[in-house]
Amino acid sequence: MLLQLQNVQKRFGGVVALRRGDLSVQRGEVHLLLGENGAGKSTLMRIVAGMITADDGEMQWQGRPVRFRAPVEAQRAGIGMVHQESLLAPHFTVAENIFLGREQSNAIGWINRRRGLEQTRRLIEEHRFPLQAEWRVEKLSPAQRQLVEICRAVAHGADLLIFDEPTSALSDAESQEVFRLVRTLRDRGAAIIYITHRMEELRALGDRVTVLRDGETVWTGEMRETSTPDLIRHMVGRSFEAIYNREPVTPGPELLRVDLPGIAFSLRAGEIVGLAGLIGAGRTELCRALFGIDPIKSGRLFVEDREVKIRSPRDAVRAGIALVPEDRQRAGLAASLPIANNMMLASMDRISRFGFVQHSAERALVAAQSERLALKAASPRQLAGRLSGGNQQKVVISKWVVRGARVILFDEPTRGIDIAAKAEVFRLMDELVRSGAAILMVSSELPELLQVADRILVMRAGCIRAELPRHTTQEEILRHAALDSSS
Amino acid sequence: MIQRLLPFLTLALLFVGLSLASPHFLTPTNISAVVRQTAVINIMALGMTMIIIAGGIDLSVGSMLALSGMMGSMAMDRGWPIPAGILIGLATGLACGFANGFISSRLRINPFIVTLGTLGIYRGIALIASSGLPVQALPKGFSFLGEGSLLGVPFVLWVLLLCGVAVHVLLEHTRMGRYAYAIGSNPEAAFYAGIPVAFHTTAVYAVGGLLTGLAAMIECSRLNTGQPTAGQGYELQTIAAVVIGGGSLRGGEGSVIGTLIGAFIMGLLANGSDLLGISPYLQQAIIGAVIILAVLLDEFRKRRTAG
Repeated sequence: MLLQLQNVQKRFGGVVALRRGDLSVQRGEVHLLLGENGAGKSTLMRIVAGMITADDGEMQWQGRPVRFRAPVEAQRAGIGMVHQESLLAPHFTVAENIFLGREQSNAIGWINRRRGLEQTRRLIEEHRFPLQAEWRVEKLSPAQRQLVEICRAVAHGADLLIFDEPTSALSDAESQEVFRLVRTLRDRGAAIIYITHRMEELRALGDRVTVLRDGETVWTGEMRETSTPDLIRHMVGRSFEAIYNREPVTPGPELLRVDLPGIAFSLRAGEIVGLAGLIGAGRTELCRALFGIDPIKSGRLFVEDREVKIRSPRDAVRAGIALVPEDRQRAGLAASLPIANNMMLASMDRISRFGFVQHSAERALVAAQSERLALKAASPRQLAGRLSGGNQQKVVISKWVVRGARVILFDEPTRGIDIAAKAEVFRLMDELVRSGAAILMVSSELPELLQVADRILVMRAGCIRAELPRHTTQEEILRHAALDSSS
Repeated sequence: MIQRLLPFLTLALLFVGLSLASPHFLTPTNISAVVRQTAVINIMALGMTMIIIAGGIDLSVGSMLALSGMMGSMAMDRGWPIPAGILIGLATGLACGFANGFISSRLRINPFIVTLGTLGIYRGIALIASSGLPVQALPKGFSFLGEGSLLGVPFVLWVLLLCGVAVHVLLEHTRMGRYAYAIGSNPEAAFYAGIPVAFHTTAVYAVGGLLTGLAAMIECSRLNTGQPTAGQGYELQTIAAVVIGGGSLRGGEGSVIGTLIGAFIMGLLANGSDLLGISPYLQQAIIGAVIILAVLLDEFRKRRTAG
C-alpha cells in the first residue's frame, strides 16, 4: 500500500469532524472518496496533505508511519493536492503560479524566469494541457484555473494526487479533459484520490471507492462490483428513487417572455424550464442580463404581458424577477449575518414602516419560513455562514420566497451540495412553482435537468438552439449543445 | 461569551484599578474631565461605527473635524448667532461625509484611497479658508456646548448619549441599518438582493460626517478657538475605538455599545497614564498595543468558533 490510514480522528473545538477515518490507496488506481457534505472527506484529505494534523490514529506512507505538520512536508513526500477553490495568485502567470514557493533561484535570490517557463511549457506539452505558460491567471476562466491547479500538482512530481471536486465548476467537455488527465496520470503509476458529488463520474473514473458518513469510513470496495444504488445507500441510507421524483404541474399564465436576438422563450406559472449548454454558451450571461446585472443592448422583456425595462437588480426585483446565483458564497449569502437577516434581505419594505423595522412582523415571517424550509439550524439568530452548504442554499432561496418573486432564475442551484440537500432544493423549487412561480434552471448536470425540468432549452454560442421536451436524453441535449463548438 | 464581554470587563477593570492606584482618579472633577475629553472621539467613533459596519473606512475625519470647526467658528466670528454657527459646522461635516460616500460608492473607488485624498483636501481647504490662522474670539455662550453642565452632568455627556441612542436605533431598528450590515457583510449579495447599495453607502458616510461636524463644534467650544490644525491623528483614535469595541474592518460587524466602551477604554488609558505620571510618549505605545491585542483576541474568538 502506498498510503494507509487507520482510525484517524479530528475534532474542531467541540465538533467531531472525523470519528474514524480508514483509507488505503495503492499505486496505479483512481480511488474515489464519496460522502455527503460534512461526512469528513475534506478533513481526511487535508490531513493527508498536511494542511491539518490528526488528533489520533495512524498514517503510513510507503510503509512508514508519518505525520505531516505542513503542506510542504506532504509535498516533499510526494503528495499533491488539487484544490476545489482556486488557490492561485491572479496577477502571476501560469508558469509563475506553478513554481510559486519553489522558484528556481541562484545564490542571491535572483529568479530564473526562463527555466520556469521552459519547464512549464514542456509539462503543458507532455500532458496536452490547453494552456500557455505566459498567460496571466486573472484572465483565465474557472475551468482553466482548475487545469493550472492540476498542472501545478503534476509539476511537483507527485506519487499521490488528491482531487477535491475538480469538475464542480467545469462543463462536460472540460470535465472530459480532466478525466483524460486523471487516467494518464494513473496509467503512469501515480495513485489518485478523487472526491466528487457527480454520479456519472464514478463509473467513468473509479477503480476503487471508499464511502464516508458522519465522520466514519463505512465502506470500501471495488467500483465495478458495486451498483450505484448501493453506493447511495452507503452514503445516505436512502434509495436513489426517493431523492429525485417530480410530478409536472399544468402550466398557468405566461409570467416572463424574453425576446432578445437569438434568444426567445417564455416561462409560464408552474413551470421549471431547464437551460442546458456548455460553459461559455452564455447561460450565466443570460441570467445576469435578465436580472439587470449586465445591460441588455437590444431586445425586449415582458413580465405578465407588460414590457419591463431592467437596468439593475433593483429593477428586476421590483418586476418580480429573482436570481439564485451560481456562486452562493460570493453573491448570495451574507455569511456574517444571522439567518433571519438573510431571509429578509430583499423584503425589508414588507416589514418596515417609515424606515423602522417592525420586529414582530419580521419574527413571524422568519419563523414561518424556517419551518417551511426544514432548516437545520439552532435558531434564526444563528450566523448564516455556519450552516452547511445545502442549508445555506435554502436560506438564499428563502430570500426570494419571502419576497414573493414570481420568476426565479436558478444558476447551478445544486453546485457543491450533497445529495440529501439537492433533493430538498428540488422539493423547494417544486413547491415554488406549485404556488404559482416560474423557474429557469441553469445546470451543467444533465441527469438533474432531465429529472427536474418540464422542458429544456439548449444554448450554444449565445443563442438558444433547441427546445426539448421533458423526456429527452442526455445525448440529444449534448448534440445540440456541442455541435460545431469544437473551437 | 467571556470574550464577547471582554471590552466591558477591560473597562471595568481599568476603572477599578485606577480608582485604587490613584486617589485623584475617582473624583467628580477628574471623571467629568475624562468624559469631556473623550466626547469628541466618542461622537466621531459612532459615525465611524456605521461606516465600518457598512464595509467602509473614513480616514478623513480628522481633517473634516478641522474644516467643520473652522467653518462654524468663522461664521460666529462674523457675527452669526451661535445656533447658526453650529448648524454651519454640522452642514460642513455632512457635506464632507456625503462627498466621501458619493465618490467611493458611485465612482467605485476604494474608500481607503478616496478618504486618504480628502484627508488632504479638507485640511487644505481649512488652512486656505483661515489663512492658517485660528479663530480666537468665539461668543461667550458658545462654551456651554463643550464645558457646560446640565443636571450636574457634563452637557456633552447628554449629547453623546443622545447620539449613541440615535445611532443604535438607526443600526438595529431601521431598514437603513439593516442594509448597512448587509452591505458590509457581502456587498455583492446586497446588490443581488435589489438593495440600492450606492445610495445607502453614501447615506452612511453622510451621517458619519454629520456626527464629525457635531464633534467639531464641541472641540471648538472646549478649546474656545477654531483651529485649522485641529483633529490630527483623530482618525486613528476613532478607528481604534470601533475596533477595540468589536468592529471588524472586513465589515458587517460592530455595535454602538462596543464602540462607546472602546472609546472610554482609550480615554481611561490616557487619563490613567497622566495620573500615574507615565510619559505621554509611552502612552501612545500603550494604546497602540491595546489596539493590536483587542483585534488579536477577537480573531482568536472567531477562529475557534469557525473551525
